[in-house]
Amino acid sequence: MDLDLNNDMEKRISDAFCVFDHHGDKFIDVREVGTVLRLLGCVPTEQEVNEVISATESEETSGEVHLTKFLPHVTQLLMERKMEPAPPEKILQAFKILDPENKGYLTKETFGKLMMEEGEPFTQEEMDEMWPVAIDPISGHLPYELYLNQLMVYL
Amino acid sequence: MLRSCVCLRSDGGSSSGGKRRSSSVEDASSCRSSEIERVGASMQTLGPNGQPHSAAGQTTTRASSLLQLFQRKGWCKHFRKPLRGMSASRAEKTIRAAILIQKWYRRHQAHREMKKRCNWQIFQNLEYASEQDQAELYKFFNDLIKHMPQAAGTKNQHHSSSITSVLEERDEILEEVGDVVRTKMELPLKKSHVEFLIDVFRKKRGNRLQPQLVAMILREAAKSLKQMPNIVMVSTAVSLQVTVCGDLHGKLDDLLVVLHKNGLPSASNPYVFNGDFVDRGKKGLEVLLLLLSLYLAFPNAVFLNRGNHEDSIMNARYGFIREVEGKYPRNHKRLLRLIDEVYRWLPLGSVLNNRVLIVHGGFSDSTSLDLIKSIDRGKYVSILRPPITDGEPLDKTEWQQIFDIMWSDPQAAQGCVPNTLRGAGCWFGPDTTELFLKRHRLSYVIRSHECKPNGHEFMHDNKVITIFSASNYYAMGSNKGAYMRLNNQLNPYFVQYISAASQTKKLSFRQRMGMVESSALKELAVRLREHRDELETEFRKYDPDDTGLISISKWCFVMEEITKLGLPWRLLRDRLAPGTDNQKVNYLTTLDLLDTDVILEAEADGTTVMDALYANKASLEAIFNIIDADNSGEITLDEFETAIDLLVAHMPGAYSKEEMLEKCRMMDLNGDGKVDLNEFLEAFRLSDMHRKQQQEADMRKRTATRSSVNQPHSESVAELANAISKNTLVIEQDIDPTDCEAKVIDPK
Repeated sequence: MDLDLNNDMEKRISDAFCVFDHHGDKFIDVREVGTVLRLLGCVPTEQEVNEVISATESEETSGEVHLTKFLPHVTQLLMERKMEPAPPEKILQAFKILDPENKGYLTKETFGKLMMEEGEPFTQEEMDEMWPVAIDPISGHLPYELYLNQLMVYL
Repeated sequence: MLRSCVCLRSDGGSSSGGKRRSSSVEDASSCRSSEIERVGASMQTLGPNGQPHSAAGQTTTRASSLLQLFQRKGWCKHFRKPLRGMSASRAEKTIRAAILIQKWYRRHQAHREMKKRCNWQIFQNLEYASEQDQAELYKFFNDLIKHMPQAAGTKNQHHSSSITSVLEERDEILEEVGDVVRTKMELPLKKSHVEFLIDVFRKKRGNRLQPQLVAMILREAAKSLKQMPNIVMVSTAVSLQVTVCGDLHGKLDDLLVVLHKNGLPSASNPYVFNGDFVDRGKKGLEVLLLLLSLYLAFPNAVFLNRGNHEDSIMNARYGFIREVEGKYPRNHKRLLRLIDEVYRWLPLGSVLNNRVLIVHGGFSDSTSLDLIKSIDRGKYVSILRPPITDGEPLDKTEWQQIFDIMWSDPQAAQGCVPNTLRGAGCWFGPDTTELFLKRHRLSYVIRSHECKPNGHEFMHDNKVITIFSASNYYAMGSNKGAYMRLNNQLNPYFVQYISAASQTKKLSFRQRMGMVESSALKELAVRLREHRDELETEFRKYDPDDTGLISISKWCFVMEEITKLGLPWRLLRDRLAPGTDNQKVNYLTTLDLLDTDVILEAEADGTTVMDALYANKASLEAIFNIIDADNSGEITLDEFETAIDLLVAHMPGAYSKEEMLEKCRMMDLNGDGKVDLNEFLEAFRLSDMHRKQQQEADMRKRTATRSSVNQPHSESVAELANAISKNTLVIEQDIDPTDCEAKVIDPK
């Protein structure tokens, strides 16, 4: 039973990995490691992604990761249930912390500043990508609960 | 640009190879999240440009930013104190909240990215899988020629010296039924004629030119192109600039956007069009005619290179033949012959200011421009078929040279290897590029041939630039197109655009994603239909108890076994087996999806048996001619048997050896031990007709079964089919070239 689970998990990891393997040579670019982890259901911080990269990056070809190194490392991570996603209530709570006056929304200015300067800051590109979906075109604000629900449904 | 950009394997624009672009990934040494835990410590964070703040200044910076944050909100007053040793507090909570939101959002983005990647891979793999068939045949012919000792290339009905008589023939053009636009158009063509054509072609209706005019443009263009060398030298000495466009693939709207934004060609505004004008898009004929008219009206200002789709064999498979047949049902044969003339005389490449090479595909480690310059390119009516040699021995390396420049792709890894994705040509690495440039004393190469999300891409330390000008190539919203502008020093900038932008703009982002995804699914489902019965048989093999369910692994295994498409089936499972749970797959839903109306209609709309027949006929003729080495017009059955093994090896699934041998015997209708061309074709045509009848019978049987059992589609399948139908509905309108979203990209 356990063996089956492993095989299935390994297949999942391998499949997600191979989406980014363009030449069929079982190498992916290190820049895709984060995406692959997230595809597998993990929610890592940038630091955690970097740690996986360091642990799995190929010594011979830098900037690339081979499946043979990736597979055991990530299998271990998944089995230890590291980097698990937070339930939506926690995300909502996080938004609410940023909205102590309980207005139900965040202004683009404050949220943007926070996202780009604190924690593991967004790049300008990430920020630019977020706005079209997150900002209510009429009010110009971020109605976070609505936004959260939208994204949850989509996922 | 996405953080984890789809354009992988590129060495980045301004940064040197291998350097990571994303700022948040760059500084692996900064331990952000863990440092936050250290209450009161000098909280190191990265600023927006990824540089760690200096210890001294940063506390104040961060503190003051937080301060401003809280002040504006009128929060707790005691935060106005200087922040040193800030204890666990709102500040820390805020940071934690921020990190939680950031990593949750990044995960969401990753899924979005995955869907994009998945869709892209579906489109690309489907496209290349079809190309592989063609490449297979090319290799077959190569082998055949090698093995037939007296093989002497193919012949046309006329001898090669009189091939050009096709251009002189005043073949009778018949009147077409329905509306045609008539006008007096006399040579030489002028700017006013071009403007007229643009005005006609961009309309939704009433856009069909009189066939006589079409023939005239094709004929004149072919005659003129014939005078051009294989590699055309282009200079910016007078114009001080030049514009380069990549694949257009029948996207007239994109061509009009380019002409609108960049102006019509002139001595001061020259253009190079780098091949693949037709196929896939619906307005290939208009694109081709417009380009040829531009070439005729603005001589020395328009340069056309041949692409791998300027080839009747490709056109048979990818839709252009069908387009011409549909638009000119009474004249398509004549027009296609003239189009073949245009194709064979299109130059193979251009060189700018003796420094920059522009070819459609790329090159290999054996490419020699000198050799290419010396070829008689008129022999290659189709690049996928042996050249016309008129009885002279074939030069196989010459054919290879042309193939390589039309079909190759750059790769990130070193070396030059056969391109197994396309089935022919090669993948050339940065070392191949370096040697090639050095050998030919060139600065860099511009090529096309591959669709890129941003319409262009740099590779090999900016020495290989891909330019792709067909936006929305795979589906509405799938990618941008671009054109290149080069100054007198040949430094480039790009103009990126999407045509019919308003159609995508008014959609929500979810709807846009939905469109691309639906298109991908539809194309994939149509492809899967070809194997529908095989899939069912295999699925049932693993379901002995007839439960309708199999394990996920088995489902993925069967899908790949049968289709060999190399797709991430596990990730596509929830789409292709809708309504299925996480443990098992209800394969019946997969089959059910393939039987929905939307997929059946798409299949009918796509490549049909007739297209395959056309392609096969040309191949068969070519095969016959090769085997008939003494040009007697007949082949002995013995001669043919030698070829059978090769044929079977190269066209697996087409015919088995037994079938072929049977054909042999059947072919010899008069029993004299020899087969002439007609008998040859007849045998295959018969069996192809038979196949078509078989297919139709199957179709009838299946529809009958479903309706007789009165089994509606399951809810989830019906829902998905509905979504696909809605999302892939294309509303045709008059083309409005101003309706584009254009952006200038300066690599500096």
